[in-house]
Amino acid sequence: MQLIATIRAPSLPRSALTFAIGALMSLPASAATQQELEAQLAGLAGEVATLKSELARVSQEQKNSMTALAAVPVQVIGETATPASSAGADSGLDFFGYGQVDYARPKDNPSDTTATVSRFVVGMSNQFDEKTRLVSELEIENAVSSADDPGEVEVEQLYIERSFDDRLFGKVGLFLIPSGLLNENHEPTRFYGVFRNRVETAIIPTTWREGGMLLQGSTDFGLRWDAGLTTGFDLSKWDPTSPEGKESPLGSIHQEMALAKASDMSGVFALNYTGIPGLRIGASIFSGDAAQGQLGFDDNVVTLWEAHGTWTPGRFEFAALYANGHISNTSKVNLTFIGNPTLIPESFYGWYGQAAYNLLDWDENSLRPFVRFERLNTASNYSDLSPGLTPENGPDQDIITSGVNFLFAQGVVLKADYQHFHGTGGSDQINFGMGYQF
Amino acid sequence: MSARTRSPLRAVTLLLSAGFALSVLSACGGGAGGGNVGGPVAGAGISSLAQLGEKIFHDPSLSASGTVSCATCHDPDHALASAINEPVPVGGADLDVPGFRNAPSLRYVAQTPTFGFDDGAPLGGFDRDGRAASLAEQASRPFLAEHEMANTAASDVSDKLSKATYAADFKTIFGNDVFDQPEVAFDRALTAIARYEAEDPDFAPFESKYDYFLAGKALLTAAEQRGLALFNDPLKGNCAACHPSGRGPNGEPPLFTDFSYDNLGVPRNAAIPANDDPTYFDLGLCGPFRDDLATARDLCGAFKVPTLRNIAVTAPYFHNGRFATLVQALGFYVRRDTNPEEWYSIDVGGAVHKFDDLPLQYAANVNVTEVPYNRKVGDQPALTPADIDDVVAFLQTLTDGFQL
Repeated sequence: MQLIATIRAPSLPRSALTFAIGALMSLPASAATQQELEAQLAGLAGEVATLKSELARVSQEQKNSMTALAAVPVQVIGETATPASSAGADSGLDFFGYGQVDYARPKDNPSDTTATVSRFVVGMSNQFDEKTRLVSELEIENAVSSADDPGEVEVEQLYIERSFDDRLFGKVGLFLIPSGLLNENHEPTRFYGVFRNRVETAIIPTTWREGGMLLQGSTDFGLRWDAGLTTGFDLSKWDPTSPEGKESPLGSIHQEMALAKASDMSGVFALNYTGIPGLRIGASIFSGDAAQGQLGFDDNVVTLWEAHGTWTPGRFEFAALYANGHISNTSKVNLTFIGNPTLIPESFYGWYGQAAYNLLDWDENSLRPFVRFERLNTASNYSDLSPGLTPENGPDQDIITSGVNFLFAQGVVLKADYQHFHGTGGSDQINFGMGYQF
Repeated sequence: MSARTRSPLRAVTLLLSAGFALSVLSACGGGAGGGNVGGPVAGAGISSLAQLGEKIFHDPSLSASGTVSCATCHDPDHALASAINEPVPVGGADLDVPGFRNAPSLRYVAQTPTFGFDDGAPLGGFDRDGRAASLAEQASRPFLAEHEMANTAASDVSDKLSKATYAADFKTIFGNDVFDQPEVAFDRALTAIARYEAEDPDFAPFESKYDYFLAGKALLTAAEQRGLALFNDPLKGNCAACHPSGRGPNGEPPLFTDFSYDNLGVPRNAAIPANDDPTYFDLGLCGPFRDDLATARDLCGAFKVPTLRNIAVTAPYFHNGRFATLVQALGFYVRRDTNPEEWYSIDVGGAVHKFDDLPLQYAANVNVTEVPYNRKVGDQPALTPADIDDVVAFLQTLTDGFQL
């Protein structure tokens, strides 16, 4: 949400407009003959036609630019680029939100069927002046958060953004890391499938946020760059007795700015090119020591890099991503964990390819079937321990997801899909979901 | 039903409790630090109250026999456990009254959380049955127990304290008239002992080879590494399920106990005189020494999981001191169910009397579901003899006093 709000529209072709208005203003009506007027009107008609054409082109470019920059695999029909204001135009205060209600039924284990309010998110932004604003998001996961319930309450974003000029912005606070296609655009109307793809959950720990400072700039030829200094991971959070580290290595050691250990800071750098309408390609790298200066940990650098692309030719939408993670110097820590079920992997990776098609499109409705293939391995390699103690590398996991997103109204989506798992030990499952964003 | 249940919440709770205890220790100031690796940082010295407690702890004149002190069964030279490798200590005025339970090490005792129930499972508390709510309360029992220091009443202890070489120190701290009220004087002495146990770094040195290993300052041998792996492996030793070997959530060194209670069906020990009476059973949580849980029949036979720190130098093992060596103790863990004839008495008819230190009606309380107990006759034990040797090698790394 915040990303869309920061995108500035490209400059309109003011020269043609100025010329047309100037021509009208300069008409000496009283002196002109009918023939002259007709000639001038014809000229004006031509200018107007040119203007219309130019406006249409710019409008399309703007739409494509926003779509690609925001990495929106699903174009929300009628979606506005800024949060809907509910506090008055003059106050600078805006509210926005999104939510997701899901149902998942494993084919072979129907008793494990679950239904939950996966997310209920309320956001607030405040424009202090034309250059400075606050963005915040508060999220409740799984409906009820208490000692006896599975839910969580999280501050997902809380940062101040300052624009230095039309091409350069700065953020300070808790913000989303510019990694992958989903992390900054994780609202349910923006991705295909009831659930977020596994690669951008298990390998890239979406919704991944860190605290620190970030600069974001863009160029005339469609290149956006991000560079930041942020908090990072804490390897002392690794629990070798829990399967959590196998589900998501980085998800199990992220800190989410909850009294985050910040002895060691991390760096992030991302590039995204959107200079060609309908195409986005990009890559990012995040790296920092997860030892955090703690006894028994030393030089445990976590590095995650990824490359991604989206392409929307006509009614088709294609997306692909590859992500690779590495943790250095794991042997010494793993030696203290040997025998436990979950040791720290040295590397992990995942990739996916996705295709969608805008099958039916009427009024504000859109029916979009899709298919996605994912392959990931959350422990593709372990550093060597003593003979017989080094764990076997984890298995490649393949997930094929096929389904449909049905978009209607403004920013509302119904979803259904079928997921086939291979190598995960999990049962195939059928999912249904509802999502919204405003 | 076994006394053991495990939940992540409970694990976090007890680790946080332990972490809190560690931070309290740190705040107490501690004593002259030794090779402490990753534990609470020792300060310049222990308080005057703790110093008084140290004198009381080591004073045999406070016993009826004049020869037994706290340190007799909790010898600083034996990791604060008994120096005598006998199942139970002998005390009393004439040193002829046998005890009932094996004296545990007091190392790391101050980190024990207060007794309570977490998700219905008992947790924490002092003594093997958790019946003492505090270190001071725990310290009171030996002074008055017939089979230990054998004082007849608090006034008996107070009278001895008033004649001790440190009586002046006692008055300096608690007032010149402190001995006018014997109950108060006894209570103050217990407080001083509790402070000593909480403050003196010898009670929580965290200077084992394993501590150095966790800190990245020492390497385990191949056998020790294999032993650690077997110790942690949930399909092999599964020891870490009750004796966690990893650091706590805030980096605290492991205490090798989760402070839970378990019923292991340890064989009856004929070397304990009380067991000459076939109707006598030590049932831990539900009696006979603890009386508030006497009706909690599902807890009968459950004892608190002890720390394994210094386990290699604190034989014998289990609440009744049934096993004299670690090899025997580990052998019992993994062969109890595959080869029960090795451990239990044989009935007149030739049948193995499994769980022979429990009344028949409580045999169902024994833990038979978790690794390595989830076996039956004919199955392979979870550990081979060679595996056991490796685990013993690892357990020997838990002995304090390691020198680089």
